Amino acid sequence: MLEKDILKEFQDVVGPEFIDDGDVMTNVYAYNWCTEFVNYMEGKEPIPFSPVPKAVILPSTTEEVQKIIKLCNKYKIKFKAQSTGLGPWNQPSTDNSIILDLRRMNKIVKIDEKNLYAVVESYVSGAQLQAEAMKYGLTVHMPGAGPMASPLASHTSMAGPGFTSPQTGHSARNVLGVEWVLPDGKIMRLGSLGQKNNPDWFIGDGPGPSLRGIMRGWVGAKSGIGVFTKVGIKLFPYPTDTKFVMTGHAPLYNFEKPDYIRAYVFDCKSWKGLEKIMLRVEEEEVGFIVSHISGLAVMAIFSYSIEGLMDKMALGVLKNPLLVVMGARTKREFDYKQMVMEDILTEYDLENIIDTKYVPEKVFYAECLRANLGYHGFIATGGFQSAKGQADAAALCLRAEKTNIPLKQKYIKKEAIANDFGEGAWMTSYEGGHFFHMESPTMFNQSDLKSVKGMANYMDESNKQDLIKHLGAPFFIEGDKLHDEWGPHMMNYHNWLRKIKAAFDPNGVADSGFYITAKKECENK
Amino acid sequence: MNEIYQKLVKICGKKNLSNNPDLLKTYSEDCSYVSGKTPISIVWPKNSKQIEEILKLANSMGFSVISISSSSNVRYHGDTLPKKDNSVILNLSKMKNIVSIDRKNRVVMVEPGVTFAELIPKLKEKGLRLLLPLHPESDKSVLTSALKREPITIPRYHWDSSDPLLCTEVVFGTGDLFRTGTAAGPGTIKQQQKRGAAQVNPMGPTHFSPYRVIQGAQGSIGVVTWATVKLELLPTVQKVIHLQSENLQDLLDVQQILLKYRYADEIVILQNLNLACLVKIESSQIVELSNSLAKWNLIYVLSGRGKFANDKISYQENDINDLVQELKKEKLNNNSPINEKDILTALKEPTAFPWRSRLKGAYQDIFFITNFERIPEFVSIVEKMAQKNLGTYIQALNQGTSYYCEFDLFYDPGDESAIPGIKQNFMDISSKLIEAGAFFNRPYSLWAKEVFANHSEETITAFKKVKKIFDPNNILNPGVLCFDD
Repeated sequence: MLEKDILKEFQDVVGPEFIDDGDVMTNVYAYNWCTEFVNYMEGKEPIPFSPVPKAVILPSTTEEVQKIIKLCNKYKIKFKAQSTGLGPWNQPSTDNSIILDLRRMNKIVKIDEKNLYAVVESYVSGAQLQAEAMKYGLTVHMPGAGPMASPLASHTSMAGPGFTSPQTGHSARNVLGVEWVLPDGKIMRLGSLGQKNNPDWFIGDGPGPSLRGIMRGWVGAKSGIGVFTKVGIKLFPYPTDTKFVMTGHAPLYNFEKPDYIRAYVFDCKSWKGLEKIMLRVEEEEVGFIVSHISGLAVMAIFSYSIEGLMDKMALGVLKNPLLVVMGARTKREFDYKQMVMEDILTEYDLENIIDTKYVPEKVFYAECLRANLGYHGFIATGGFQSAKGQADAAALCLRAEKTNIPLKQKYIKKEAIANDFGEGAWMTSYEGGHFFHMESPTMFNQSDLKSVKGMANYMDESNKQDLIKHLGAPFFIEGDKLHDEWGPHMMNYHNWLRKIKAAFDPNGVADSGFYITAKKECENK
Repeated sequence: MNEIYQKLVKICGKKNLSNNPDLLKTYSEDCSYVSGKTPISIVWPKNSKQIEEILKLANSMGFSVISISSSSNVRYHGDTLPKKDNSVILNLSKMKNIVSIDRKNRVVMVEPGVTFAELIPKLKEKGLRLLLPLHPESDKSVLTSALKREPITIPRYHWDSSDPLLCTEVVFGTGDLFRTGTAAGPGTIKQQQKRGAAQVNPMGPTHFSPYRVIQGAQGSIGVVTWATVKLELLPTVQKVIHLQSENLQDLLDVQQILLKYRYADEIVILQNLNLACLVKIESSQIVELSNSLAKWNLIYVLSGRGKFANDKISYQENDINDLVQELKKEKLNNNSPINEKDILTALKEPTAFPWRSRLKGAYQDIFFITNFERIPEFVSIVEKMAQKNLGTYIQALNQGTSYYCEFDLFYDPGDESAIPGIKQNFMDISSKLIEAGAFFNRPYSLWAKEVFANHSEETITAFKKVKKIFDPNNILNPGVLCFDD
């Protein structure tokens, strides 16, 4: 709870109905998915609750966010911002913290059809934005988290791989102008948005250097460097025609499959073959989804229940599967792309199982277009999280995947995590095959202590393996402990990051549980 | 000075150092209207270790360091002219190693001294191509071009405003060596490559992307000692489409469709004089060709590769025709008087004859970024203010989310009486554009003060914080951007 006088000052900013420091609300906000094993990894009790925030506050404008942050500085209270709020990264690391729930900032500010971008506030979801962008034949890059996640969060603050990354890239690279409330309460507007005369959103760099490099890296700062209130993000051509007709009920909706869409799933038979074929498909620029997924994941993306998953064991035998989904706007384009794909299948002696051995439900195509394949990861056990997350060349990602199998099998043997034969993986290409990322989705039982501890230990071992074997940095190298561990092996980056943190957050009020502290800020805990 | 010289000799050896007054003098001037100070020495380091030592020495002895990469003696924009008395030129043109060309991952690792003329033929041998700025100068550094965010001519491959720059090795102003993106590790570059990495992900390490603050910083944050640069595959068939119109908006509308649906590789819009400069060398031929062209020219290239190359070009061409018809434009002239090969040369090759200097021998260029709607307004502002011999070049950036506009004021450098007028004209037009909201995202010397005066205080404060972190003693190129105090 906040002291009465302090609560009053926050109430004056948003109105008394938009702040709550009562036990019920603050305890509810202390819960989040996967918090239990993150707690355990940090040496805490493996419960699904973070420290309870002092209050939850719901600002509706950038100016209100600014005033809240200024009060946080005045009273040395930390803030943790969240938008659609999925996962432990939205949680405070200390009970001297308030949560800024940005759900009232939910507007699509504009869709700029001519300049091919949109401007959104924090709580707009990918699905909402896509539905509007489709009216112009456009779509948005959505992260693997799914269409219900906030594009603003993904583009400014989180990671950013998505199923459509071959044609929509990575969130961090699609950022244009940004409105950013810094930890000291100043409002910074990046790039062309910072101009005094005719500010606009079309570029986020300069004049001169780009502060996007301070804003985020491969992963974002998760509110550790301030609060992002609006962002300009690139839009991309929608892969097919934009008619989207869906009827019926979840999960097996009836979907009218667009004329020019086709899926391919084939077994590349070896790791080398997989690398070669994935690169080749990308060089031809034919797929809007080009993802390597494990055999069990092939079963999962076509399943809508645990029973349905078990029915598809035959698909699980694929050793090195590749999923390619192509779309086209015209018949000419479709014919050309099909011709290229058929040629690749022939050249490498590959057999497409789609519509030959297996006919997917039509809703599968809707999920491809709406970047919604990730949710199938929850079907087996109700809970999953990804280890890994390194991104560079295809060969590195595949080596990381291969190396991970015996480790994962060890934890499967211990019955700590679900049995995916140790192979569970998702790897996608970006920007027409210019780089790749790989993660290892791992299913576990969040309500079983042994499973939670096993998952945490597996993540820890997986991280260490990547470090020792030079397999790139995973997604979740965050927080002081891991940065101190990894920094010395990576050009001492943690020292530079700490200097940035100190310079931009002199009072250490932006909660850095999933970022880095400048060390001295720990005093405020 | 003598002490600095002696210490530099110890680091790089006498033969890699000069304090020849005549040579030093050449580094105090360039093609801009900026007057620079004469440096005290020029040093040609061979490797990053020497650069580290030089920057550490600069910190301890208090001299400034200005890095230069291109082997050309012709420099523009005043960004490499010393602004302090105690300056040393760090000439990286001898760091010429093409460290690796990786066909599989479509990436090249180069040192700063590698020029377009040196690299392009080597890439061709492997079926690869660079993402080029428009007809770059042969002796221009590939790495510097990427660091400056010079616009590239294939918007659909311009995934991020930072492309084609990927990972870098950099010595910060503190003298500390760092590697950005996935090159940071874990492990050395060799160890990473042994595991299959190719330094193709520029983001990171972890929560920040230092390459973004190095890029566009005019050498004021760090000295890049190598970088990986994104490549594309060389097409085997290309078809050039050249549309002409007196109406710029018509061509912008057609271009917007190409951008929206990611059709075409190279796409440029050029005013007739600039197009003529690109494909002809002699001034008289330029004028003759220019007079035969419509005022505005949209050029785009359809490309294919392998056995379906023609099929790809064919489907794209037909799809584009359908879309253009839907625009209901008056029929655009697609009869080009220019040989297709000449256009492709300008788009694919470097030149020993800088195209902007061909008409009159010299030029001053004014460039900025804007959005789709405001291009005609800015063209109109410049056309009203510019004296004769104006060239215009419009380049879609970042997959069509913004547009680079360049206005070239061509003039005869031998006509000394005209030069003051050109300078005044250059400054007046620039000021008017800045006032109207043109975004000068690469604010070189003569623009910097005005650009930052018209930019938010918060951004400037943030830039200064960043500068303080990576170059706390302001030894790297002091006086550029907003780092003048």
